[in-house]
Amino acid sequence: MTSARNYMGALGVVTLASALAGLLRAQLADSELVMVYMLGVVFCAARYGRGPSLVASALSVAAFDFFFVPPYFTFAVHDTRFVLTFAAMFVVGAVMGGLTDRVRTEASHAHAARLQAERQELRNVLLSSVSHDLRTPLAVITGSATALQERRELDPATRAELLETIRDEADHLNRLVGNLLDMTRLESGGLAIQREWLPLEEVVGSALERAQRLLGNRTIQVDLARDLPLVPVDPVLLEQALFNLLDNAARYTPAASPLQVRASYTGGTVDLCVADRGPGVPAGSESQVFDKFYRAPGNARGGGTGLGLAIVRGIAQAHGGTATVHNRAEGGAEFTITLPAPPPPSEAP
Amino acid sequence: MTEPMPLILVVDDELPIRRFLRATLQDDYRTVEAGTGAEALSLARQYNPDAVLLDLGLPDLDGLEVVGKLRSWTQAPIVVVSARGREADKIAALDGGADDYLTKPFGAGELLARLRVALRHAARLPDAQEVFEFGDTRIDLLFRTVTRAGEPVHLTPHEYKLLVTLVQHAGKVVTHNLLLKQVWGPGASGQTHYLRVYMAQLRAKLEVDSARPRHLITEPGVGYRLRP
Repeated sequence: MTSARNYMGALGVVTLASALAGLLRAQLADSELVMVYMLGVVFCAARYGRGPSLVASALSVAAFDFFFVPPYFTFAVHDTRFVLTFAAMFVVGAVMGGLTDRVRTEASHAHAARLQAERQELRNVLLSSVSHDLRTPLAVITGSATALQERRELDPATRAELLETIRDEADHLNRLVGNLLDMTRLESGGLAIQREWLPLEEVVGSALERAQRLLGNRTIQVDLARDLPLVPVDPVLLEQALFNLLDNAARYTPAASPLQVRASYTGGTVDLCVADRGPGVPAGSESQVFDKFYRAPGNARGGGTGLGLAIVRGIAQAHGGTATVHNRAEGGAEFTITLPAPPPPSEAP
Repeated sequence: MTEPMPLILVVDDELPIRRFLRATLQDDYRTVEAGTGAEALSLARQYNPDAVLLDLGLPDLDGLEVVGKLRSWTQAPIVVVSARGREADKIAALDGGADDYLTKPFGAGELLARLRVALRHAARLPDAQEVFEFGDTRIDLLFRTVTRAGEPVHLTPHEYKLLVTLVQHAGKVVTHNLLLKQVWGPGASGQTHYLRVYMAQLRAKLEVDSARPRHLITEPGVGYRLRP
């Protein structure tokens, strides 16, 4: 079916080339009119492939003969020189079409190969994630639980510590599984955005509430501009994005270091930032950190899957926004989610 | 003689989850357990439990269907259990008559708190309360006044209605739809931005830090909860 449509497309292109050549015939010599058709043939090859480009070549010769070679509006030819022109026109058209088509096919093969490689990479890293990142917390949980079961003489402080460890690692495991699910949904396009108009304050509040255990007793300074408008966002997804930024900060910065959560409104967009006092991101890797499976060199507490920030970017982009990071002059990293803030609906009654 | 412990019907198809629930509940409640929706419905008729803890992901029946069937004859509170990311299911269950929800995985403390609140609401007589307090806020429901640390707080009529609706369901989640209906009337459903604006104003007046509320809690994608 699509191939029929491609041939129709080739016919359309030749018609268009004829119309264009007709418009320009007063200004152009015959050889230049031929070029107009050649352009059409190359377009057909790039757009529709080899078969339609061959058809376009043949049609171009016929149309050129019919409209622009005396006697006009017949396929008859009085001047035999034109026969050579026709032959050259067809051959050049066919060769150019073939070359263009080959370039096109090669590009698409390269694209497919890259996709294939990426998928393979995804699978490999997923497997290593499953075997390492998921097993580490599981190993800790199993170890702690069996210690509690078999060593009954443990003192209460140690028992409490083991129980706390079990709980922390279970939380960690839950976040990892959540990230894997979110990433899979983002990649498969299965993430439906449910936009609602809401104040960012609400998202900040619920993300901080959920991150409470993660953040421990860090100082969190919240600074929300007074003029923040309502923004049309998915409350659950944006909360997840902010939560991931907080999770990331908790993981890569010293345990007692302070964090800032800021939001501001400028020129039709809102910025939602999480700023830390940690080591910052390695120079030059500002956009890489948002790539899937990227992990900052150095030690992170309780390694992640390298998906958290990729999810942040995915969620920001799904909202028509961006996710960026820069190092602060005074030390530490500042992650920013920028979202469009169109005019809000009418005020509440 | 002491009153018998309340009876909870626990519905979950995973045995380890039921075991954990049993262990958590055994000090304060009696339990009966069901692994399927059909079993849950028949046990509910047989035992007439004081509350139901219902996992929405059952092998045989849709959890929402179970909520609907239970609600057709009993007012016993239903707390549904569901995964994160299934906000639509939670809203449907709550609008279909469930009283509250827990997101898996949840801790024992959270479970006990939800059940306590649900049972308390079920037992309360209407209009029993005249004064409600949380943090340093005091609401006199009889005289319709609100004070904070003894100082009067001026609320607009909509803000007051919103606050009172949350107070009436204190400790329980209240869906956006229910709040809109109670405060603005049935025509306002779907207009959640009204609600969010008024909620922000209420927080500005009653919370110490409105970006980190301690009492007027957001349940993302579902609604709000007043945490006393």
